[in-house]
Amino acid sequence: MNRRLYPTAVILAILVGVISCEESDAPIQDSFDRSEMLENMAQNLIIPAYTELQTAVNALESRAEEFTQNPDLNSLDALHEAWGAAYSSWQYANAYNFGPAGEDGIRRSLLEEVGTFPVSVEKIETAIIGSPNFNDFNRDARGFLAVEYLIFGTENTDEAVVETFSSQNRKDYLLGAVSDINRRIGEVLSAWNGGYTSEFIQNDGTDVGSSTSMLYNEFVKSFESAKNFKLGLPLGRRPGQTQAEPQLVEAYYSGKSTEMLGLHLTAIENSWHGRSRQGQNGLGFREYLESVEGGQALIEATEAQMAEVKAALEDLPETPPLAELIQISPAPADRLHTELQKQTRFFKSDMSSLLGISITFSSGDGD
Amino acid sequence: MRLVLKSTFLSNLLASIRIEALSTTLRERVRATPFSVFRGVFGLLMAVGTARFMWLGWIEDHYTTPIVHFHYWGFEWIEPFSTGTLYVLHWLMLLAAFGVMLGTRWLYRLSAVTLFLTFTYTELIDLTYYLNHYYYVSIVCAFLCIVPSPPPIWDTEARVPRWVLVIFKLQIAIVYIYAGLAKINYDWLILALPLKIWLPAHDNIPILGPLFTWSVTPYIFSWFGMLYDCLIVFFLLYRRTRVWAYVTVIIFHSLTGLLFQIGIFPLVMMGGTLIFFDFGTRKSPATLPKGPPKTKERILAAVLLIHFTFQLLFPWRYLLYEGNVSWTEQGYRFGWRVMLMEKAGTATFYVKDSQTGREGVVDNREFLNPHQEKQMAMQPDMILQFAHFLGAYYAEKGVHSPQVRAEVYVTLNGRPSQLLIDPTVNLMKETDSFGPKKWIVPYEKDAKNAL
Repeated sequence: MNRRLYPTAVILAILVGVISCEESDAPIQDSFDRSEMLENMAQNLIIPAYTELQTAVNALESRAEEFTQNPDLNSLDALHEAWGAAYSSWQYANAYNFGPAGEDGIRRSLLEEVGTFPVSVEKIETAIIGSPNFNDFNRDARGFLAVEYLIFGTENTDEAVVETFSSQNRKDYLLGAVSDINRRIGEVLSAWNGGYTSEFIQNDGTDVGSSTSMLYNEFVKSFESAKNFKLGLPLGRRPGQTQAEPQLVEAYYSGKSTEMLGLHLTAIENSWHGRSRQGQNGLGFREYLESVEGGQALIEATEAQMAEVKAALEDLPETPPLAELIQISPAPADRLHTELQKQTRFFKSDMSSLLGISITFSSGDGD
Repeated sequence: MRLVLKSTFLSNLLASIRIEALSTTLRERVRATPFSVFRGVFGLLMAVGTARFMWLGWIEDHYTTPIVHFHYWGFEWIEPFSTGTLYVLHWLMLLAAFGVMLGTRWLYRLSAVTLFLTFTYTELIDLTYYLNHYYYVSIVCAFLCIVPSPPPIWDTEARVPRWVLVIFKLQIAIVYIYAGLAKINYDWLILALPLKIWLPAHDNIPILGPLFTWSVTPYIFSWFGMLYDCLIVFFLLYRRTRVWAYVTVIIFHSLTGLLFQIGIFPLVMMGGTLIFFDFGTRKSPATLPKGPPKTKERILAAVLLIHFTFQLLFPWRYLLYEGNVSWTEQGYRFGWRVMLMEKAGTATFYVKDSQTGREGVVDNREFLNPHQEKQMAMQPDMILQFAHFLGAYYAEKGVHSPQVRAEVYVTLNGRPSQLLIDPTVNLMKETDSFGPKKWIVPYEKDAKNAL
């Protein structure tokens, strides 16, 4: 080393020595194994979610076949139940729209392909009498919520719904829509059961395109969509809206909006904890935060707010359906929306900042 | 007594600066090779960078897909052209970069001017993508426009006036030293923040990764980074330390390249600092200037003097504002504050109808791409611009004289997030200027917030 640099190096070494002595109780930071977190997320949350969903959608398809062969109140009842089970399972699988469930060419994310709402009654009815095509841009005419419209209907009685299925076109459309959901989910699941899981676990960086970054981004998106689309919009909380718009709720025709929202929020909480649907705990975002500077404070703030969200959710009555509730007494739903709003910053910016996860392709100077 | 001493010292000092001698020295003709290497590498990197930008689809992503653009103060009139036109401009930029690399005479001049104009125009489209490196590139492009017509890049015997080399060295010196001075702060040196956050996030980098999890590593990197920035230019200037200093340049910028997504800029700095080498195998004394200074040279000298005075002073403007510059970002940009902090925010905008009193919550994603939202959510002037956009947008949608307020929570260097601006202020009533923004909430750094 050059003589000029030598004094600098000595000063540097001394400074470093002094500082590191001060911190002698923690010579090495707890290093967090991201790939272990990714493995837990894949093996205990993501793959089980898609597997259960696939089973439930298989059952939905069987019930739909039985119903179309013999449309009566009993078979419709069974179909309703199967739809409820499948759509409940979807709430646990709707936050992983990357990799095999991500966008690919004209195919959009799995969430958009099978979970778009509100659906367009007009488009569905046009498609039924036309030639059904489940690969076009009309994502609001297919997926779980199109099926929901078909089997719950706008009519007041189940008899009326059964009546509509005297049409062969309608039967075909129902079967087509269900099998389209089944096919799309099957593709995603088989990718995870194939090579994607190891790719996912090995891609353990924090840059854009890393598994942690994708998982985190979709986690935040999922949280925000619950807040914005399942509550904010129907409540009329967007600027420019002048009143509640109940027809915008998720699961409008079955009236299961509140139940589904609750499951969605539980799924988000599970991701935070790295917890499976059955309650088995593993490494999640919470544990990752525990390992970083300032993480403990954020965990406390986040979980305090999560408790508020939970309390607000519990105060949201299951009946009447959300679409009615927000017209007669919007206060409990408004409160949940507000509590979710307060939660946003912990998930959205604090967490990515503390974890050093990149969410955009180029760095700014200011971060 | 002391006062007298001081004034004598000052007058002596002033007298000792002999303008004539200085100008002669600067006008002496030295070997052109350093400049040839500089423009060769710079031109090539600019061409690669432009091609990369197009190839990544960033023309669409950055310029033509977004609905809203954030403007630079004073450049509100700059809007993106259509995608097709922007592609043409980028191809021109690419050709101009090669022209700067290889051209002479009119071809060089035309290329340099084209490169400066096209590059600076594209940078001015959206404040979101501001980087100090882009600012540096614009300045270099401007310098390339005003230097005398350069000799062919392969002519090793050719000469250029010394000032041609000096302006680039001086600019690089300002970049490094100001970046170094900015690092002399409590968070960076004593708490090793934000490196304590950034390094463990990259612990999967081969070989070096495991070192990033050691608690001492962020301190070493912080101190090394600060000393590097403050001192590297001096070691580069001094012949005997030059080669070692350059090795350090390579190590430093390779590391930043590994850690941060900053594209080709590590290479730009590695290429730029080559200008400190003389590339001569044998001594070649400077030759006398070509005749006395011409009017054109005097004008150039005045322009450069103004430029460097601005360069030296403008970064200090933050001292005129109250509060922590990292928090308020008043006087933050154009000050060579590079990769200095970890900052992120969540901005929630509320738009209220003045007539009905009904207030709605904005979904930022409806209008902004993730990059725009991220940058906007922590920078007060961008928050203000977005608020004004929303006000105009919703007024058109039928909201009566919209009032826009924003609840913005920002985390700085891993501390719990706190309010950046007053959430009750109607931002439609505020305008952007160099005046202090009264609606910024001061940064609280109390015991609770300390890490």
